[in-house]
Amino acid sequence: MGAIDRTWPTSLSEAVRRAARDAPEQGIAVFDGRARNLERRTYADLEELALASARRFHGLGVAPREPVLVALPTSWEWLEAWFGLLMLGAWPVASSGAGAMAAAEAQFDKVERVMAKIGARFVVASETFQRQAVDQGFSFAERGVITTDAQRRAPERSFQGPRDAGDDIAFLQLTSGSTGVPRAVAISHRAAIHNPLASTEAIGAPLGAPADDWADGMVSWLPLYHDMGLIGCLILPLVTGLDTWLLRPQTFLARPALWLHNLGVRGTTFTPAPNFGYQLCVERVPEDQLASLDLSSWQVALTGAEMVRSETSRAFCAKFAACGFSETAFRPCYGLAEATLAVTFDLKGEGVRTRPAPVGADAGFAMSDVVSTGSPVRDTRVRIAAPDLSDRADGEIGEVLISGPGLFSGYYNDAEATAECMHDGWFATGDLGFVHDGELYLTGRTKDLLIVHGHNIMPDEIERLADSVTGGGGLLRSAAFSVARGATGEEAVVVVEVDDNDPQRLSQLGHAIRSKIGRAAGLPLADLVFVRRGRIPRTTSGKMQRGELRQRYVDGRLERA
Amino acid sequence: MSDTSTAVAVIAQVSKTDPATITPDMELVADLGLDSARALELLVELEDKLGIEINDEDAARLNTVGDILHYLEVR
Repeated sequence: MGAIDRTWPTSLSEAVRRAARDAPEQGIAVFDGRARNLERRTYADLEELALASARRFHGLGVAPREPVLVALPTSWEWLEAWFGLLMLGAWPVASSGAGAMAAAEAQFDKVERVMAKIGARFVVASETFQRQAVDQGFSFAERGVITTDAQRRAPERSFQGPRDAGDDIAFLQLTSGSTGVPRAVAISHRAAIHNPLASTEAIGAPLGAPADDWADGMVSWLPLYHDMGLIGCLILPLVTGLDTWLLRPQTFLARPALWLHNLGVRGTTFTPAPNFGYQLCVERVPEDQLASLDLSSWQVALTGAEMVRSETSRAFCAKFAACGFSETAFRPCYGLAEATLAVTFDLKGEGVRTRPAPVGADAGFAMSDVVSTGSPVRDTRVRIAAPDLSDRADGEIGEVLISGPGLFSGYYNDAEATAECMHDGWFATGDLGFVHDGELYLTGRTKDLLIVHGHNIMPDEIERLADSVTGGGGLLRSAAFSVARGATGEEAVVVVEVDDNDPQRLSQLGHAIRSKIGRAAGLPLADLVFVRRGRIPRTTSGKMQRGELRQRYVDGRLERA
Repeated sequence: MSDTSTAVAVIAQVSKTDPATITPDMELVADLGLDSARALELLVELEDKLGIEINDEDAARLNTVGDILHYLEVR
């Protein structure tokens, strides 16, 4: 248990120093790919490693206040790089590295576009990453990759510790916009400290004390390039001096039981995961392993980052009750990268509470009920707005707007995107929902985004892949969106405009498109629909209306070619 | 059982497909519908059943059933 100083640190680098001082025995453990071995180091070790890493980055010419991408798997190399950059006063940007069965080419392309957009000179990555990127002719790869080997061998050069605090940027986190390149969400030191501390308060509310008072730690498989993994499972334990145990996402995806096993043997724990993670446990933890799982000390199972589905929590409770999992451990929450992470938490601790799906809830999510995601965390406000930004009445569906100290400082190098969603200090989330009795319920979203397995995917990424397919069928244009048909959550649908209606040529084209998207994005399509030219609706200015297209698809009004 | 028939059996089991219908030209994602979680499950199952270890670089190149069978032959 952490005995951290209750006055809040003013910067994240100060939080590292405090954890080293106040929780020197606590720390971070990282499992290898098969979760057979783990490497655990204390926060005191972390501070030392991060400072040495900062001196080497300085020796390599990295300057304070410059963004640097970190594209490594969950590992101590990742932690040394990210915290080294932080201590130097540079801005780490966690980015997805190439994982098993991931498409290397699409990954390099994304890294290149992000670097250009935020003006980054460097990405920290593996030797393999660099070699493959060079082989494939990516221009950033020649001089812009700091390999972990080069970083380890770099000369140390002392640096003036940054005086960063308050409103200064601490790091950037990537999030998907609807088109083009991921956006870099700038998080200030203030927000990075406030949000985790407000969260442990809310997580602990039903138990009468902040989570760090009664918990031993967390066990997470969430990627560190995702806000829930980075803030929820790394920054939160650091700021509160708790132990954290990190599994690679791939380890969990291959064997979900490994996560549950470790949750059971690390003392009193709390941990977040998207709905999909719990669903995967329901579907894929073998019955014969249940007897060996002990989930009785798992106090809080946070569920967020995508629509929370009551059928999943019910099935999870039914399956794992015999392992000592308590129904009331389920705690829905709502958050997003632009709020650092957390916005609302269920504060009652009575398990998943629902209301019947109201008229106007998105039919494309196939929900019979909607889940309470709880009330705003400390100092944070939520309101529901009509398209003209006027307030909606209690119970009426509208866009979710948020404000508070956890709010981001803007999209880095993208004033236009920032201006589009900021309205007098309120951030328009693009999510739809209503408030009832002070609690937020989500019913859909206005933004064009596919959220598959808790991961945000830009429709543009998928459409560009489809559009790049040539061959039979005469593809004109494509549109991508996602729908949910049940507990498994959202799945991808692609609609393609064609001039041809020859079944054989369309079948060829269909296979080529599925193959391209499968190979490059690892995404299977739930449906691929061919329509005649002009059937993908557009505004008068020619902008594609994916929301309207999706509505027609869901309603069965889309005429197939 | 040969490595090939073991591999086909594992692919069939993970993708919930009739093994008799599995052909080498089938793509793991596009034809067998494997999402990222299923693809990783397949990888680990192959490793366990065949007593091998497939590194990430090699795994990233396995797009079809044939790719897997070929990999097992030449490794």
